[in-house]
Parts: sequence; structure tokens; C-alpha cells
Amino acid sequence: MSDETLLRVREVTTTFDTPQGRLTAVDGVSFDLAAHESLGVVGESGSGKTVLSRTIMGLQPRRGVSVTGSVLLNGTEVVGASEDAKRELWGRQVAMVFQDPMTSLNPVVKVGRQIDEVLRVRLGMGRPAARARAIELLEMVGIPAAATRYGAYPHSLSGGMRQRVVIAIALAGSPQLLLADEPTTGLDVTIQAQILNLLDEVQGRLGMSMILVTHDLGVVATRTSRLVVMYAGRVVETGTTRDVFARHRMPYTRALLESSPKVSNPSHTRLAVIPGRPPNLLELPPGCAFAPRCAYATDRCASERPVLEPADEPGHLFACFNPLPPRAGSPS
Amino acid sequence: MARYLARRLVTLVGIVIIISIGAFYLIHLLPGDPATVILGTGDSPQNRARLYAQLGLNRPVIEQYFVWIKNVLHGNLGTSFISQVPVWTTIRAALPIDLEMIVISQIISFAVAIPLAMSSAKRPDSWFDRFLGAFSFTMLSIPAFILVVVLVLVVAIKLAVPHTGVSSYVPLTQDWVTNLESMALPSLVLAIGSVTVYYRVLRSDLIATLQQEFITLARSKGISQRRILWRHALRPSSVALLGTAGVNIGGLLAGGFIVQYLLDIPGLGYTLVNSIGLSDYLVVQGIVLVVSVGVIVINFVFDFLITLVDPRIARE
Repeated sequence: MSDETLLRVREVTTTFDTPQGRLTAVDGVSFDLAAHESLGVVGESGSGKTVLSRTIMGLQPRRGVSVTGSVLLNGTEVVGASEDAKRELWGRQVAMVFQDPMTSLNPVVKVGRQIDEVLRVRLGMGRPAARARAIELLEMVGIPAAATRYGAYPHSLSGGMRQRVVIAIALAGSPQLLLADEPTTGLDVTIQAQILNLLDEVQGRLGMSMILVTHDLGVVATRTSRLVVMYAGRVVETGTTRDVFARHRMPYTRALLESSPKVSNPSHTRLAVIPGRPPNLLELPPGCAFAPRCAYATDRCASERPVLEPADEPGHLFACFNPLPPRAGSPS
Repeated sequence: MARYLARRLVTLVGIVIIISIGAFYLIHLLPGDPATVILGTGDSPQNRARLYAQLGLNRPVIEQYFVWIKNVLHGNLGTSFISQVPVWTTIRAALPIDLEMIVISQIISFAVAIPLAMSSAKRPDSWFDRFLGAFSFTMLSIPAFILVVVLVLVVAIKLAVPHTGVSSYVPLTQDWVTNLESMALPSLVLAIGSVTVYYRVLRSDLIATLQQEFITLARSKGISQRRILWRHALRPSSVALLGTAGVNIGGLLAGGFIVQYLLDIPGLGYTLVNSIGLSDYLVVQGIVLVVSVGVIVINFVFDFLITLVDPRIARE
């Protein structure tokens, strides 16, 4: 582990006990994240990306969840840590921007109080100092008339404003790692870019590391330096954002890229869709989980599970028996 | 919020007017001439003449109502022809006893119900939660008069705590120690009834609130579980609790009559039961009116508390 590595994730597996049986939501995921680096985690719904981000933070529900493997955050092991130990990390070392700002703010507490709670409880600031700092944070995330908004309840703010408040809460404890879990899914399209640019800007300005979880490759294209592509709880391809976009080897990555709309497409271009549905995590096939939907699948894919293997470029890995030819991966 | 409360207030004034008509008409609903009803055993030519003058009984009913309501608004509920005491004097002596019982019992109820509901909601279906659920259900199904008898037997007789059996009631202003001793058991009985209801309402709302995403966000700040419960979960979970408490407390006004009657505590309920027995219908009418208005005021206060707890309620 180099000095620069902030987060080291090794063979992390998260399973849920459900009435139908044991469900593996995250299956043997490993990656490193350097200080100041931003990483995109992409995949369809149900690919385990949200569970992965909560597992990294150790923020699972108390019961019915088991995690194995190792998540080393700044030298502290998160997996198996006590609630007290994790509480020390939360807010100060790692913070999360949640998916839906309509439900992630407490509806009966003024937004300013929700921000300065971190400052007062975790940083031990006095009430006036915390208030001043909270207003500063509101200004930093681009909320106009911040001093007035300090006393506003969430229901009087728009979705975009609420998400800015959620970001301000996350930034309040000056964390070194920011986990953004589909931070724009609940927002209008026009607001999405603003929020993403804001995250990008504060990440750079405050020198944080960031993990941006999304189903939209367009979101991570220009905002992260590396990507992890997930399918059915496993990493199926990872590498620099440039390599994954231009030289991807895994057919699933291509399918994801082709299903993302592009402005450069001529009008009325029919958007490619990935045939079939994401697999049922309770009844995963023994082989590659993507095989039933894959145009390149062979008998081997159905019976044997591919493991990550290096591609030509350093740090670029993919899990596929019938990879796309190198350098031919640019989506049509 | 002011507009919301103003609208509530207008509704409440309307309800008070309807209730006043009902209370007024009570006398006319009873079989026989209203004078006979009111005078009861105190019927004599002199009393009858005084009553006719006081209530204008030879005038049309509508006019009688306005005469009566004007008197009521001036604090004059009439004078009992049985005890010869003004009705308002009787009520004013009894009402503080009910209020004291309610205040004590509600302080106990909230102080017990809130922490219990939190402990249950933290780990639903734990043995503690299941035990409390079964226990509260048992307590809920025990009638108040059984509880009183059992408590008197244990506390007043076996443990011999003075005045808890209440042989003669002493007002709070006269001797507060004796007063509080004699109020302990009736307040406790009322509290037991309230705690079980509050516990159940708050527990289920807390469990629902604790599933919310904003609780996960609060956890992600690294604050203690105690703080999450008290600062983030309690308030959004207490709307139904406050609504229930408003209705419940209204019911306790004069509703504590079984307890009062068993222990000889001269509160409103006790006075009401006595007055019915004596056919002292002016006192009955006065108590009905005061209790109804009291119930409405209490509900209004709790509506107001709800808007303080959840500012979303008062929107629109």
C-alpha cells in the first residue's frame, strides 16, 4: 500500500439474508483509490454499486447483512469495525452524498441545523461559530441568500437546492473521501449537470478523493480518472476512464456505452438497449452473469466464471473469455 | 401557519356553538316540564317563580337560549336549586382537581412512554420489544376500577403509604404533601392507561421513521444513536402521538370519574355523577358545557403543538 493510497478495497463481498435465501449483492470487489483521485463506479440498477458504496462506508443496516473482505480507509479497517469505531470515521474521514435529496434531509429540522450538527457534535464548535461556518458552506455549494436559507426547512427548497444542502452536510466535516451515490438521479436534467460540476469543483478545491456511483457513463466520462464497471455484484472491467471508453474489452461495457445517449448522434437515432434483464442475484448462473444477454457468449461462458485479467494497458483489467478486439472498442 | 390555526379556530368556535345548543337543550330533552326537571326535589312555588324569572321559561325556546348563553358568557351558569350554590362555584372547586390529575398523569405517561417506545423501536421484535408489546396490551385490557382496587390494596393498605387511599381530600393549596399523596394513585391509574396507548402509537411511528433515508444520512454524520433517536427520529414520529394525546387528555377531563368516585376525590367527574344522582340538572348542564369546551381547547392546543413539531402540516 503506497503512501498515496487512501482507500484499499480487497475481495469485498456483501450478502443479505432475505426470506428467499442469501443474496450476494457485492461479490469479491477489489480496487485502490489514491488521495485526490476520483473513481467512477458504473453499472445498471441492481449491479451492486450502491451496496458497494455503503459497504465501503460501513453504513449497512444493523441486521441481515454480512460483509467479508477488507476495506482499509486511511489505515483503518472498516469491515467488522464496531459502530463506535465507524462513527469516528463517518463525517470526518468519509462522507456520503445520497441519491434522493427529497428523502435524505430531515423534514422537520432546519437545513442550517442539519449542517451545523456535524460541526458542533463532531468538530466541537460552539453554536455561533458553527452557524457562521454552516452559512459559509451553504455559500460554497452555491446557495444564494445563504444566511436566510440557514433557517429554511427542506420542504421550502427545490430538489437541486436540497442536494446542495446534502453536499454541504457531507463537506462539513472536511472528509478525505466523498462517496456520491447516484447524486443526480432524483433531479431534473437541467440541474444534474450543475450538481455534478459542483461535486467536481469541490473535490478539486478541497483535495478530496471521490467515488462517483452512477448508471450513466456520460456522468463519469469527464469527471473521473478511473472507472470500475460492475455487473451482478462483480467488477467486470476496470481501468482509466480513457481506456475503458476507448479500448474496452468486455461486451457489457460496450453495451452500457451504446445505451447512453450522445449529443453527437444524428436526430432520431434509435438508442441501443441491452437485451434481457439484469440477473436475479438469488439465482446466479455458474458462469459469467452477463452470458445470457451477451452476443459473444459461448458454452464456456455459461459454465465457467471469467476472472479479471490484464489488458494491454497498465491497470486495465477485464473479465471475459471472448473479449472484444483491443483498440477496436470505440462504440459505433 | 397563522392562517392554518385561524381556520382551525373558526371551526372550533362553530363546534362550541353547536355544543352550547346541545347543552342548553339537554334540559328540554328530559321528560316533563323543564322547571320540574331543574327543580327536582327542590320544587316549591317560590323556587318555581325564581326559576321562571331566571331562565325566562315562559318565553319562546330560541329566546331562552339567548338569555341563557348571555348569562353563560358572563360566567353565570345559574344557581342550583338543590344545593343553593351557584353552578360555576361548584365547577370551579372541582375543575382544578381534574387538571392536576391530568397534568401529573401526562407527565408520567410521556416520561415513561417515550423512552420505552425508543428502546422498542431501536430493535423491533427483540425480546424486550415483544415483552413490552404483550405487557402493554395486558395493561390496556385491565379496567381502571380493577387497577384502583389493586393499587389501593397494595400501596395504601399493605405498604401503608399515608393518604394514598384518600379518606378526605385536601386541596393542593392547603397542604401540598397530603394532596400529592392522595393524588398519586388516581394519577397513576390514568397514566397507566395513557402510557400503553402512547407507547404503541409512538413505537410504530418510530419504527417507520427509522427506516427513512434521512436517518441513514444522520448516521453517516457519525453522531450517536441517542442523538439520532431524540433529535432526528422523535419529532417526525410524534404527529400521531400528539393527536392521540389531544383526544386522550380530552377524554380524561371528567373521564376520570370512576377513579374519582372510588377514591372520593371531588373532581368534575365525581361531581357529575353525584349531580346526576341528585337530578341536579343545572350542574350537569354546566359540567357538560365546561368539559366540552375544555376538550375543544385541549385539541386546539395539540393541533398547535403538531404544527410546531412538523412545519409541513401547516402548509397550504
